[in-house]
Amino acid sequence: MRVLYDLLIEPFSAPFMQRALLEVLLLAVPGGVLGSWIVLRRLAFYTHAAGTAAFPGLVVAGPWGLPPQLTALACGLGLAGGLSGLTRTRRVDLDAAIGLGLVLALAIGVILASDLYESGSGVDRLLFGTLIGLGTTDVWLTAGLALVALGANVALRRPWLAGGFDPASARSLGVRARMGDWLLLALIALAVVAALEAVGALLVAVIFVLPAATARLVFVRLTALQLASVGLAAAEGVAGLWLARRLDIGPGPALAMIGGALFAVTAGMRALPRQVAAAPSAPGARA
Amino acid sequence: MTAAPVVAVRRLSGGYVAGDGALVDVNFEVWPGQVIAVLAPNGGGKTTLFRALLGELPFSSGEIELPHRPAYVPQTERSRLDFPVSALDVALMGAYGRTPWYRRLSSADREVGRAALDRVGLADRSRSPFGTLSGGQRQRVLIARALVQEAPVILLDEPLSGVDRVSATHIEEIFADLSAEGRALLIATHDIAQARRSDRVLCLARGQVAFGPPDVTLSTDVLRRTYGAELIVLDESTAVAVDHHAH
Amino acid sequence: MLDVLLEPFADGIGQRALMEVVLVGVVCGPLGVWILLFRQTYAAESISHAMLPGLVIAALAGFPLLLGAAGGVLAAAGAIALAGRDERVGPDVAVAVAITTLFGLGAALALSPEAPPRIGELLFGDLLGVSEGDLVATGLLAAAVVAVLAGSHRALALAAFDPVGARSLGTRPGPIAFLLLVLLGLTTLAAVQSLGNLLVLALIVAPAAAALNLTSRLGPALALAAALTVAAGVSGLYLSWYLDLAGGASVALCAVALFGLSLLRRPARATGRPLRVFGRAPIDVFTGTR
Repeated sequence: MRVLYDLLIEPFSAPFMQRALLEVLLLAVPGGVLGSWIVLRRLAFYTHAAGTAAFPGLVVAGPWGLPPQLTALACGLGLAGGLSGLTRTRRVDLDAAIGLGLVLALAIGVILASDLYESGSGVDRLLFGTLIGLGTTDVWLTAGLALVALGANVALRRPWLAGGFDPASARSLGVRARMGDWLLLALIALAVVAALEAVGALLVAVIFVLPAATARLVFVRLTALQLASVGLAAAEGVAGLWLARRLDIGPGPALAMIGGALFAVTAGMRALPRQVAAAPSAPGARA
Repeated sequence: MTAAPVVAVRRLSGGYVAGDGALVDVNFEVWPGQVIAVLAPNGGGKTTLFRALLGELPFSSGEIELPHRPAYVPQTERSRLDFPVSALDVALMGAYGRTPWYRRLSSADREVGRAALDRVGLADRSRSPFGTLSGGQRQRVLIARALVQEAPVILLDEPLSGVDRVSATHIEEIFADLSAEGRALLIATHDIAQARRSDRVLCLARGQVAFGPPDVTLSTDVLRRTYGAELIVLDESTAVAVDHHAH
Repeated sequence: MLDVLLEPFADGIGQRALMEVVLVGVVCGPLGVWILLFRQTYAAESISHAMLPGLVIAALAGFPLLLGAAGGVLAAAGAIALAGRDERVGPDVAVAVAITTLFGLGAALALSPEAPPRIGELLFGDLLGVSEGDLVATGLLAAAVVAVLAGSHRALALAAFDPVGARSLGTRPGPIAFLLLVLLGLTTLAAVQSLGNLLVLALIVAPAAAALNLTSRLGPALALAAALTVAAGVSGLYLSWYLDLAGGASVALCAVALFGLSLLRRPARATGRPLRVFGRAPIDVFTGTR
């Protein structure tokens, strides 16, 4: 019994761990709700880019005395705005535009980081997240985000569904798809900012893509998908925290390994009956 | 029969859609119950025209009188096949425009959706995921969606291309019914034979080539000016336009 | 005037950096054009991330870094392909899942106490730390990738512009896309010493995007992309030297600036199918229809 306690409960006994636990449980809500939309509407690259683009914001926050959430949000919204401008010219599509924005943000971040940070250690934390750095502000912000995500999910369900399914007809259906798309991207940028302290700039997908992608393998209808994604994100979050504490690594990498493993197991279970029954299908990645 | 056209386009010019041409001085009118075939080669301005009619495109001059927002039936390739929507869900999207966001779709609207699916012959597939339907069935679901919208004007983008024979016949019957009820249909098509069966034909090739009843408008000369090198003339009364769409 | 131009390259370090940038440029340019045409920008960005576990394992086990990176990249390409096999997994989700997991694994290894402390260098690269051995490796990799690209030109073009027609002509888009991923991995390998993990994307995407803005024909786009990439690399070297900025980041900034300049050119009237048409592309948020 004592052994079990030491193994499972003790890692969570410190106050900072309890804050971290609350944080990941709260993050699971937008992670599952928004994550389902991200997976359905093929926004995984944008989500990753929004996280990475926050890197320069995080770099300057400490040295310039600004709250990191603010600088990160400014970068995220800057990315969304830049993307809109670029794609509006119709000379580069969203895929390439995201790549360009990401590169620009990273390059600026690297240059600033080499000026502002002598050692690489601060940069590591920015890239991979931290357990001890989470304050009560972070938790309050995440709680607010969770509420906003839930509200938007109800209010914008139709524009997101109709706009994602068939953008060409949205206007004729009287659905404000453009506005809805905007708000979705902005909301994702906001959500990513909330997750940055916990998982770092490069691994936001562990919250916003991995759980929903795994849930999607099993659940198709939207509400079921969202509920499963939230549940899975919460479970992965707790397990990830535990692993991070035990191995003394950031939460980001821990969540990545657990999330990836769960995905692999689920996908494998789906593939098994087919492998047994049918001949192998054409190999290769989907273009 | 009302005294005004449901669509009136005068001296419409402008609009630039990547991959399609701009419009130059387009003029035509559509009256209730009319079926208009829109013939245009690729890049000829058909997409531009539809976008302009849907209010999505700013144009440099001219005017569009369109008292009611038209319903739009795009080609089914434009829709996502892996979205978690059933045929009924898609049909019910037609009611989104008249339902405020905080209210569930009314049971009356649900009935309208089911009736629309029944009308296109898919009552038994209402719960099927959209992606599991055949091309022709998907096209019919999109038409059902337009029916749920209850719009007096419907724009259809090549509704019969790539559709199996059974669905195609079904769809053409639906067009005849809709026309009889007084709805106006603008059908973009490459099928000249189908165009000959319409009330009016609008030929576009980056500019208006002709507009009028098919028997006087669809001369070989007009077809040549519309399709240019893409036209294959078989004999006095039969010409075929090369179909670019490899589905 | 000549002094200003020649000064950064006066010594061996500068000359090797220049050579490295030219070699990398020649291969990243054309590859970048294909990456954009196949809409694989996410894979391009992420595959360099997935190198991290390979690099760290190699560093920990004492293998040559290049071998570790190669292993990481192949593992990444394979993982993306594997993840994408399930029809419920879209192409971008496949990349997200595969790369996030691998990168997380790499980071976990890198952050453990036994790992070498200079993870920053692995991630961000060291343009001025290129040795002659590195140059040879880069040159070989670059030559191999360019050769394969040239040889598969027709298959790539078919798969990109007419995937349905391609099948009937005997080209299968699936394996072609996988080949592209492998070439991407090899190219990233070639560039990683100089630009580092995170900034390789700059040379792959930005000059190619600029080239596609400046011409609408495929052949010229490929050649122009190579030229622009080399130009970005060289100007990045100047920037880094005279402003004392990190090498990889300077090159990245120059590449993006080149793209910005390319936007100044007015778009030509659409005459037929624009270059960027690709079968069943995912519907994107802003432009909706094609």
